[in-house]
Amino acid sequence: MKAAELIESRSQQWQQLEQCCLGLERYGKGRLDAKGRTEFASLYRSACADLALADAYQLPAGTVRYLHQLVGRAHNQLYRSRRFAYGSWYEEMFQKVPRRLFHDGYLRVAFVVFWGGFLLSGFLASKWTPVPSYAESVVTQEQLMEMERSFSEPIGSSDGASGGEAFAWGFYVFHNTSIGLRCFAMGLFFGVGGLFATLFNAIYLGACFGYMTTQPEGEKFYEFVTAHGPFELTAIILSAAAGMRLGMSIVSTGGRSRGASLALAAKQSLPTMLAAVVLFFLAAVIEGFLSPSAAPYEVKAGVAMISTLLLLFYLVVLGYSEQPPDEA
Amino acid sequence: MTSLPAQLDSHIRVVIPENIAFEYRVASPFERLAAYVIDLLIMAMIVGVIWVTSLLVFGSLNQMEIGTGLLLISLFVVAWFYHGLFETYWNGQTPGKRSMGLRVMRVDGSPINAAQAILRNFLRVADGYPFVPLFGSPDLALPTGLLGLVATASNRRYQRLGDLACGTMVIVEDRSLAGKFNETNDVILAPIHELLPANAVPSRSLARVLSRYVDRRRYFGPARRSEIARHVGQVLVKQYHLPPDIDHDALLCALYQRAFLSQQDDEEPTLRRSTRPLALSDEA
Repeated sequence: MKAAELIESRSQQWQQLEQCCLGLERYGKGRLDAKGRTEFASLYRSACADLALADAYQLPAGTVRYLHQLVGRAHNQLYRSRRFAYGSWYEEMFQKVPRRLFHDGYLRVAFVVFWGGFLLSGFLASKWTPVPSYAESVVTQEQLMEMERSFSEPIGSSDGASGGEAFAWGFYVFHNTSIGLRCFAMGLFFGVGGLFATLFNAIYLGACFGYMTTQPEGEKFYEFVTAHGPFELTAIILSAAAGMRLGMSIVSTGGRSRGASLALAAKQSLPTMLAAVVLFFLAAVIEGFLSPSAAPYEVKAGVAMISTLLLLFYLVVLGYSEQPPDEA
Repeated sequence: MTSLPAQLDSHIRVVIPENIAFEYRVASPFERLAAYVIDLLIMAMIVGVIWVTSLLVFGSLNQMEIGTGLLLISLFVVAWFYHGLFETYWNGQTPGKRSMGLRVMRVDGSPINAAQAILRNFLRVADGYPFVPLFGSPDLALPTGLLGLVATASNRRYQRLGDLACGTMVIVEDRSLAGKFNETNDVILAPIHELLPANAVPSRSLARVLSRYVDRRRYFGPARRSEIARHVGQVLVKQYHLPPDIDHDALLCALYQRAFLSQQDDEEPTLRRSTRPLALSDEA
């Protein structure tokens, strides 16, 4: 039997498989029904067999190419993407991630870099500074003026009826979480990018904090930042650490190939990053609704303490463990 | 996953659980850019619809700032999770990729999972570097994507950084339908069949070359055809003692017909039949 006859006899089944693929690629109405799906499996197997024997059949190149794409297309419908496995995510977020973070060297580096840079920059910008024009050289004059102006009125004095809190919440979610995610992505550049982003954030925030000690509005500023500080600053450090893990895996591979090492680090750092996103969300809720409200300072300080304890519980109580085996 | 040592084009060979190998064409960065632009337009449309709705709903309630807050949240969700969620629930495709016939999959040909879909799109920022500030404002920067372009150029599967971290690649899902057999009606082959000896049947590798040639010959003019066909034709003329002034193009077509189309009796029909996986109505 010649190729032409073979193709003629088989092409009907191939076209049937094509129609099945079209039906499976559609969503909603017109999607392939159960009967079609059982046929699909056997059609796919026979197309696979045809492709495997294409050489023995001496099929022409065009037909072989067609079979490659047909089998590829059907393969993509048979093997579909796996969705969120919620059960395993619980285990990941409340067992594996805190344990990994507890032993995470990158988290310690990010912590030291952030708080070190923050405190140093804060000192240099404060009223005890040895470098008087430091704050102006880090943060521009206009931004400092803008900051002073926004804290010139007492907190909670603006009328709360206009829904300004929701606006602030949305703004903080969008703005702060984007900063964190960018910090994470920059970590890919051999870890140096994440280090740079962390240090930049630390110096900039430190300068703002220090500068406010020289201003009469300082007290209101500190009252404003108290409540959401723990969640937000921890989230920045977490995203920087996750990014650094990603970048450093290219440099220090632990005996794997660079690609495999990066893939492993990516798998481990994604849950950390998602934990940071959740923290950014919580911080934004507090920052949008509680921080600008007229609630007494004791409430805000209480929220800050509770959130700090929660973070400590997550990192130390849930995280306290032996070194996890995949970290060796 | 094995690759052809002679791979020159952008086809990637994957071995699947059915224990056969087949080829995908990996998507070029510019096909993916087109898909990305389509996705950007859709994202803008989604945010636009939410914006107008919140304007109407919260504007009428005189609570415009709640509306703006919701808009910013939706902007965040759309900007960071649009691609990841679509690739998770649409089997590795976003609307843009779907319209361009692209699909994300693992390098071994198996489908991606949710974590890979989310992460490869988080890392899109890193691929966008360096950024060009627009209108002199550092907050509004346009990603040039040069780093991603360099990354795709430096590996065989055109993976950007996000793909490298997740072990994924983007392939083109060809949607061509079953083609007709190549017609060679434009040349008169009967005299050449007479000249050719009856046992002149091309070998397997020659048949493959012939089929490639006949697949493409309709794109060439007569002069170009004879120029290409001459290289094989001259060898065949010597082998079968044909007249030297024979049309090489027609000679190749005649051999193609013998290899794939001719009705003459097969020499080993029983053997061929036994290798076929399914019973066919082939009592021709």
